[in-house]
Amino acid sequence: MSYPRTRHPRRAGALLAAALLLTVTACTGDPHQPDTTPVAAQISGPLCAALPAGDEPGNPTYLAGQPVATALQWMPTLTTFEAALRTSGLLPDLEHDGITLLAPSDDAFATKFSDDTWDALMTKDQDKLRTLVKAHLIAGTHTLDELADDGTATTLDGATLTVTRTGDTTRFGDKADAVCGDYQATRARIHIINTVLGPLPTDAGGRDHRG
Amino acid sequence: MRRQRTILIALSTLLAASLTTLATPASAQEAAAEPNQVTNLTVRQADGYATLAWQPVDGATDYQIERTPVDANGTPTGAATIVGIWRPNRQINQESPTFADAGFNPGDRFQWRVRARFDTTEQPYSTPVTGTTTAPWGNPNVAGEQLRTQWETSHAAQYTSDTEEYAYTAAIDELSDRVRVVEIGRTVKDRPINMFVIGYPTPPATPEAVAATSPAAINCNVHGNEPGDREACLIMARQLAFSTDPRVIDLLSHTTVLIVPTINGDGRAANTRGNSTGQDLNRDYSLIRQPETAAYVNMVRQYRPIAGYDGHEYGNSRAGDLPMLPPRHQNVAQPIFDESMDMIEGHMYTKGAEDGWWPCPYGCDGGGSVGLGEETILRNTLGLKNVVNSLLELRSSGGQTRPDEGNTANNRRRKTFSALWTFQQFLDYHRANLPAIKQGRAEAIAFQASNTGRLVFRGSRPIPAHPAPHPGSSPPPIDAPPADLILDNAPCAYRLTEEQYHGARTDGPTGAVTTAAERIADHGWKVIKVGDSYYVPLNQPERGLIPLLLDGQGVENLVDGERIYPTLTGPRTGPLTVTGFACLDDATITGPVTVRSGAALVTTGTTITGPVNASGAAGVMLADTKVTGPVRVSGTTDAISLIDLTVTGPVDLSANRTDNQPLLVGNTVNGPLACAGNTTAPTNLTIDNTVTGPRAGQCATL
Repeated sequence: MSYPRTRHPRRAGALLAAALLLTVTACTGDPHQPDTTPVAAQISGPLCAALPAGDEPGNPTYLAGQPVATALQWMPTLTTFEAALRTSGLLPDLEHDGITLLAPSDDAFATKFSDDTWDALMTKDQDKLRTLVKAHLIAGTHTLDELADDGTATTLDGATLTVTRTGDTTRFGDKADAVCGDYQATRARIHIINTVLGPLPTDAGGRDHRG
Repeated sequence: MRRQRTILIALSTLLAASLTTLATPASAQEAAAEPNQVTNLTVRQADGYATLAWQPVDGATDYQIERTPVDANGTPTGAATIVGIWRPNRQINQESPTFADAGFNPGDRFQWRVRARFDTTEQPYSTPVTGTTTAPWGNPNVAGEQLRTQWETSHAAQYTSDTEEYAYTAAIDELSDRVRVVEIGRTVKDRPINMFVIGYPTPPATPEAVAATSPAAINCNVHGNEPGDREACLIMARQLAFSTDPRVIDLLSHTTVLIVPTINGDGRAANTRGNSTGQDLNRDYSLIRQPETAAYVNMVRQYRPIAGYDGHEYGNSRAGDLPMLPPRHQNVAQPIFDESMDMIEGHMYTKGAEDGWWPCPYGCDGGGSVGLGEETILRNTLGLKNVVNSLLELRSSGGQTRPDEGNTANNRRRKTFSALWTFQQFLDYHRANLPAIKQGRAEAIAFQASNTGRLVFRGSRPIPAHPAPHPGSSPPPIDAPPADLILDNAPCAYRLTEEQYHGARTDGPTGAVTTAAERIADHGWKVIKVGDSYYVPLNQPERGLIPLLLDGQGVENLVDGERIYPTLTGPRTGPLTVTGFACLDDATITGPVTVRSGAALVTTGTTITGPVNASGAAGVMLADTKVTGPVRVSGTTDAISLIDLTVTGPVDLSANRTDNQPLLVGNTVNGPLACAGNTTAPTNLTIDNTVTGPRAGQCATL
């Protein structure tokens, strides 16, 4: 897949980081060791400040050399999505051809589904869960800039999402903003979004006050 | 006897006040350089948190706590951040404000300052204090102590996985003589459910021997998506296994600590609330449809913890750091409720005010309809099993009082280290109050076995607001039982048919559904078969729980058992020969009582003048009963239970053939006590009998 568009500075930065990735990943097998190169993978968005950075375990540069399943396990705000993707069983078929994940944060899931609804999806409604997960996957590896430049994206559930850019914010399907985008993993891009996509109804409400 | 709560709190407040005075004599008081400046700020380091304490400023609305990372020279290496807001509803005394700052990476160095606000107007900051926070527990160069969880090594970016937990658990088991790890069951997906059994210098060898030490139990993680407490448990297991601190040695020399890190391993792996069938396990501890809850209940029956904590996380962002709640179901015996309340309000509120954590009543502030009386919730199930205990919540978000928790790692660390504080305090409470807890439990078991008072199928005791100042604003809802869920006239027993008792069921995981008989056995209730019927008498320690599962009126019951009312009350003179099922309540018998082969005698509130002889009976269960004359029970097939009897004469249990332990609990025997040749040795449930004569054979130590 090719993207014959003009580049703007953000994209150039991301590509630079990608170009240096090979060097970086060769040296960062241990997440607890400081990076041996000053160049870090470029992530962007308001939530990035709350995620591992610099030489902390799970930093973006380290994740860039990891399989997508491993990378997701290092992202502390994606525990729900990580488990959903794992439970759906979809990943093994997808990751060697390249994949882009629009990954809703744990907060996004918490405001979307009640615990009971979520547990039913995870334990009983396997088809529904797979469709939900597919609504967050796009074939090929795409940066936020590329997606925004395209203006639309087709997710694996067959839906077409509009992709808009206002200021620094990239928005999917008119409702989900990328809050920390352009994480890299092996043959993958991960963009954390703040709203769950797909047609399932919202029924959160009971979740707030139950331990 | 239970201490008066208000007196206790007044005393502890007085003590705290005098300690403060001692620590900072008037001559050493720091003078405020500016008006309304906070003075005498101190910092004290502990595992994963730092307690800030200061002199209150007159008229302050609240206080802000600022933290700045600094290097060894005290030079800032990062931005100053407001990490905490102290509000008056945090603690039960206002003279000595404290705040437990947490969320930072343990071992890092910081400077702290505190300032008062009048409404929203900020007053001058205090002089700063600086300190290096406590590094993760354990010397990296000492075997065992050097172990770390995945959560610790990943700086809280990852929770400890199932396989990492098993490896860590096995390493502690291997390296510490104090620890034995036992598998108490398996999940639906066949994951092991492990329990640390920890004692000093070694844990007692058998469950019965552990039970004799009146253990403390922590259930760390029932909801798979609430993992904060579990990480605390794993760290605490390492501390208990290897620490040479005299406090730890003392604790473990006096009791056994039971830690179940992950009862819901399937749910943890999938990050779901329920187990792999979608069942919320904390709505299943009475029904025990699932193997996970059955494993826990089975453990409680065998190891008999006398006190417990149950770890959760809580989504109400306005709540305190640590919402807590006792067993409230109205069938829980009063002494268990009182002692649990004392643990929370007497101990945790007091210690929280010293160390800066904020425990509060569950709900705490606008909590909604939570914290009720469902017996399916472990907190209530344990109370109905006469275990002093509390639910523990960790507030999920930083909320308004911890504004620096947008960073997930900070948020996770605060939660886990607040749980670690609570569990350590729980062990201290258990250590300091062991006689009171044991006495409350003994009184509770005697009360339950007496089968007196109404039964409530659902409904809670009120949790009154703590005397001002409150820690938190609102106690949980009243949740009084509705009239149609109250039974004033309690039956003597429930009768179950063969089909009800042994019949196949459908409520449970496919292919692994257990029968009512199996679940009743897991709970440890005595059952007597007479003819074709199975009788479950109420004169046993879990009298409050039995009707909830066996009565047709039970809200979430197991079967619709038939209520069996007493067959004999009032005075009766002359020999009494029991054939079939006899229940004596509030009876006065003058004459010998003989229980025939295959028959059953159940008594409560009864006086018998004359010998009691049972030979080859199906069951003999006597409670709250006086017997003048010998009591001889031999050849019994199903159940023996003697609780809170007063016998003038010898008691002799011999050659009984029950497959469950005969109970000899809290009796007074004015005469000898002899037990010999019983298939299963009798137990006193760690509640002593008073015996004036010699004790012999299997009863020698009861």
